Amino acid sequence: MLSRLALRAAPGVLRNLSPSLSAGALCAARSFHGGQPCLAPLPPLPERGGAVRHGFIPEEFFQFLYPKTGVTGPYMLGTGLTLYLVSKEIYVFNNETVSAVVFLSLVIYAVKRFGPDVAAFAEKINEEKLAKVSTIKNDSIKALETAIQQEKKEQERVAVRSYIFDAKRNNVAMLLEINYRERMLMVYNEVKKRLDYQVAMQHLKRRKEQDHMIGWVERNVVQSITPQQHKESIAKCILDLKALSKAAQATV
Amino acid sequence: MNLNLFDQFLVPQLLGMPLLIPAMLLTTVLIYNPQDRWLSNPLTTLQSWLIAKATKQIMTPVNKPGHKWSLMLISLLTMLILNNLLGLLPYTFTPTTQLSMNMALALPLWLATVLIGLRNKPTSSLAHLLPEGTPTPLIPILILIETISLLIRPIALAVRLTANLTAGHLLLHLISTAALSLMTTSTLLAGLTLIILTLLMLLEIAVAMIQAYVFTLLLSLYLQENV
Repeated sequence: MLSRLALRAAPGVLRNLSPSLSAGALCAARSFHGGQPCLAPLPPLPERGGAVRHGFIPEEFFQFLYPKTGVTGPYMLGTGLTLYLVSKEIYVFNNETVSAVVFLSLVIYAVKRFGPDVAAFAEKINEEKLAKVSTIKNDSIKALETAIQQEKKEQERVAVRSYIFDAKRNNVAMLLEINYRERMLMVYNEVKKRLDYQVAMQHLKRRKEQDHMIGWVERNVVQSITPQQHKESIAKCILDLKALSKAAQATV
Repeated sequence: MNLNLFDQFLVPQLLGMPLLIPAMLLTTVLIYNPQDRWLSNPLTTLQSWLIAKATKQIMTPVNKPGHKWSLMLISLLTMLILNNLLGLLPYTFTPTTQLSMNMALALPLWLATVLIGLRNKPTSSLAHLLPEGTPTPLIPILILIETISLLIRPIALAVRLTANLTAGHLLLHLISTAALSLMTTSTLLAGLTLIILTLLMLLEIAVAMIQAYVFTLLLSLYLQENV
């Protein structure tokens, strides 16, 4: 029974550990094959490795010796130890030492020369991976913002649609009016044509009657002139002309 | 202190127990495990990138059924490169200088490729024994020669790796011994010897990586022929 209590109390206790330990402890303390797989957010990795001095001695060693021996402590220790090992021939100088010196100098040169470039390359791989996914995220954010703006524009357009309908209605009314007036004009013209035809017919009839009457009168007058009258009128005209000519000669 | 130059190739022992297996497995502690994270620290990223590049390089010419071998070949490549490079450090033992280990790597893998070829495509893998375009009178002799070259392959693979690394290590030891003994007599000659040693060390680093790559590449070539 006490073990059951402990089992139930364990996650709470483990959660109160420091964050670097609690996730691992929580994940390890779940019941085997029983509980959920531990998908809790893992604590983030440290961005840089532990600080080292001279490439392979951890900084913590220097901090460890600092209170007792100060700044030069570890260096004194290193020098003393090396000299002891070499002078007492505990470490013997042989051919391996020479090849070690050569190899290590090559390695140190390579690290100093190519180290920053390799580190930058590794960072770049991570950055590219991050950038690719960020691009997707930013693109979708931008697309959504564009969609929002278009939606707002559409809403504004909807608000003024009554004006569009009024304009369209006016247009249609104008077209109908124009059509009506055209047809009125056509009717007027047709009616006028018919009436003009009637007027022209009347004029024609009138003229025809007049001509006929004039002809008839002339024919009758010509028929009524007897030959005797014809000769008398001609003699009279000649006498008149003579008189006139005399009058004219006199005036000249 | 080495009594002779070949003591460096003796398997190290601790209280009478040979330490060959820990020596071979030392490389595994240097390889990072793939993590559950999407973005890892730069070292893991670099290692993953290198392994991806090597895999692409070696496995692209192999056809699809041969990609089952990619894990085997790339782990072989990684192990050989790390073993060879770690052997250049002072006082380290290089397992790949032992012919026994290299034969143990080369013979089963080569035999596996031959058996796979004979089982799946017997006609095609036997046809590899006759290069195209040979004149007809030469065919019998050529088949014999090609069979011998086929059977020599595992020995060639193992001995190539062993001989290259052993010779390199021996040369390094010789020249460094010479430099050490010349330092007391004539410093100028010792300096010249050190320059030669530096160049040789560079060559050895290159050879270490190239030999591992060649081993794996040849195995992938044998696989290409047969799978």
